[in-house]
Amino acid sequence: MTTSVLDPTAEEESENRVRIKRLTSINGATIGLLDISKPRGDIFLDTVQSLLENAGAKVLRFTKPTFSKPAPVDLRHEIATTCDAVIEALAD
Amino acid sequence: MVNDRPRLPDGYVAFVKRDCPTCELIVPVLKQLADTNLLGAIYTQDDPSFPSLSVTKDDTSLKMSFLHEIETVPTLLKTKDGSETGRIVGWSKQEWGSFCDIEDLGPKDMRSYSPGCGSRNTDPDLQGELRKNFGEGVSSRIIDFASAEDEFEAMYDRGWSDGLPLIPPTIERVLAMLEGTSRQPEEVVGLAPPNLVTLTVEKIAINAVMAGCKPEYLPVVITALETACTDEFNMHGVLATTMPVGPVLFINGPIRKSLGMNSGMNLLGQGNRANSTIGRALQLTIRNVGGGRPAEIDRATHGSPAKYGLCFAEDEESSPWPSYSEDLGFSPSQNTVTLFPGEGPRLICDQLSRSPDELARSLASGLLGNAHPKLVMGFDCILIIGPEHASRFSEAGWSKDRVKEEIINCTVRETDELIRGAGGIAEGLPEAFAGTSLPKFRPEGGLIIVYGGGEAGLFSTIIGGWLSGPKGSQYQTREITP
Amino acid sequence: MFVATIHFISAAEAQSDSLGFSPASFFTDHPIQDRTDDEMRIIAEKAFDGIVQELLE
Repeated sequence: MTTSVLDPTAEEESENRVRIKRLTSINGATIGLLDISKPRGDIFLDTVQSLLENAGAKVLRFTKPTFSKPAPVDLRHEIATTCDAVIEALAD
Repeated sequence: MVNDRPRLPDGYVAFVKRDCPTCELIVPVLKQLADTNLLGAIYTQDDPSFPSLSVTKDDTSLKMSFLHEIETVPTLLKTKDGSETGRIVGWSKQEWGSFCDIEDLGPKDMRSYSPGCGSRNTDPDLQGELRKNFGEGVSSRIIDFASAEDEFEAMYDRGWSDGLPLIPPTIERVLAMLEGTSRQPEEVVGLAPPNLVTLTVEKIAINAVMAGCKPEYLPVVITALETACTDEFNMHGVLATTMPVGPVLFINGPIRKSLGMNSGMNLLGQGNRANSTIGRALQLTIRNVGGGRPAEIDRATHGSPAKYGLCFAEDEESSPWPSYSEDLGFSPSQNTVTLFPGEGPRLICDQLSRSPDELARSLASGLLGNAHPKLVMGFDCILIIGPEHASRFSEAGWSKDRVKEEIINCTVRETDELIRGAGGIAEGLPEAFAGTSLPKFRPEGGLIIVYGGGEAGLFSTIIGGWLSGPKGSQYQTREITP
Repeated sequence: MFVATIHFISAAEAQSDSLGFSPASFFTDHPIQDRTDDEMRIIAEKAFDGIVQELLE
């Protein structure tokens, strides 16, 4: 005898989203650095910032209020509208 | 209704749709049957004017088609006393003639055979809506386990389990579970993390069945999940952290008795169905609906047995103090669930303190070890005071507030002992906190005191928390709605 | 793109699958939390070329 049960899962398939085009060059690009607020991440990003600026990029710094929740909508909007690319760090 | 299906006119009843060449083909036959008063009704699934006969009835809602389990159009039912006695599908001149006991059915030049088309109510995209509107009222996908499949292994194989066996969530069990709440199955309770999926009462009910809950537990589970899905509680963070925490629940109010919950001996351990399954239902829902699983989004280094589910009741009847929920302003007749981001329980053993002051110092000393002795203010804690310990305080006339205040005061230490590197221990407070003194817990809300446990045993129990506040998780208390 | 330690490779894959989106990524050594400032700078310098490669076409 077959047993029929109701699906306990979400039954949802995510649509696959495609990445935007990558940069052609660091020189001249505006790159956002998003600190997720885990310890030591700021030191990591300070170094990345210097190296990017030496390579000719303009760097904008952002910080998530807490690493444990998704970034607030306003922060995401600000990054999306002011940066050509964003580096988020550092999850450990 | 006859046998749970709507009554049908006696004689013959046809189901058709315009978007079906065979249905178009047999219109003259249907007219012939209608003219002889044999045809009681034609239920049309897509165009109410097809065919244009007086017996044509609008079934664009597909209610009749669904409830009479029509699979093909055209279908012709023979009926008596309101219910079906036989059916044929598609068009075969010979079969229809024999079924209706009429020779020469249809025009002479009519094709003698044409297969039918799929009935509209079998469209997979419509199943959820139809079952919700006319069926059992649930819309989740039905999964059939093959007869040779062991249903318990099948559920393991599909990744639904937390490691322990599950009760198969058959439609009957889920419908019975849904009787436990006045909420509708399709009601949205929140977005289940980590995948931020729409979480309905129905999905909670399915997972509650699997957990082993009784229907009367469902309102507690629903309210707990409603609370877990808030930004304040931050279930995503509680799940994803490398720390061992999970959602710990405790219950206040008369519902503890009506559900037969355990607030006494072994209240945190095994043996009581409500205690064991309510927390489990929450975690299974986060796993199966939200997508939160160990070694995937759940990164706990060690985890804890509490992550199977930890739910207990406060012993309000024996307590010398008002209950936790009463302290928050709820009345004794209100049922509440408190959700706390907690690790597994840990003992404070003090079998010698006789005075309240001694015991307060002793419990404070035990609490200092929460998370790490040199870390303060960042992690909240539940302290379950056992009855024998509580009597040391209550017999001296101490209120719960006094107990809490004295304990927190006893945890105050010079921060110079606590900063990083102090005592030869790298962990600790940042240097900026040197030169002052701090308690272990934030005075407003850092320590929750609950009464419970067996009558014998000079013990209290700590349940340590996660990062407290907006950066981590804020514990919540919510009234349970039926 | 994101930077995480190697212990988060499977978590990142799981989250990418469920969200239907796979951002560019770079993974550093673990652990991070107990590193000194100088050690963090060295980790960042070593990671830089890999990060830039993920940003560029």
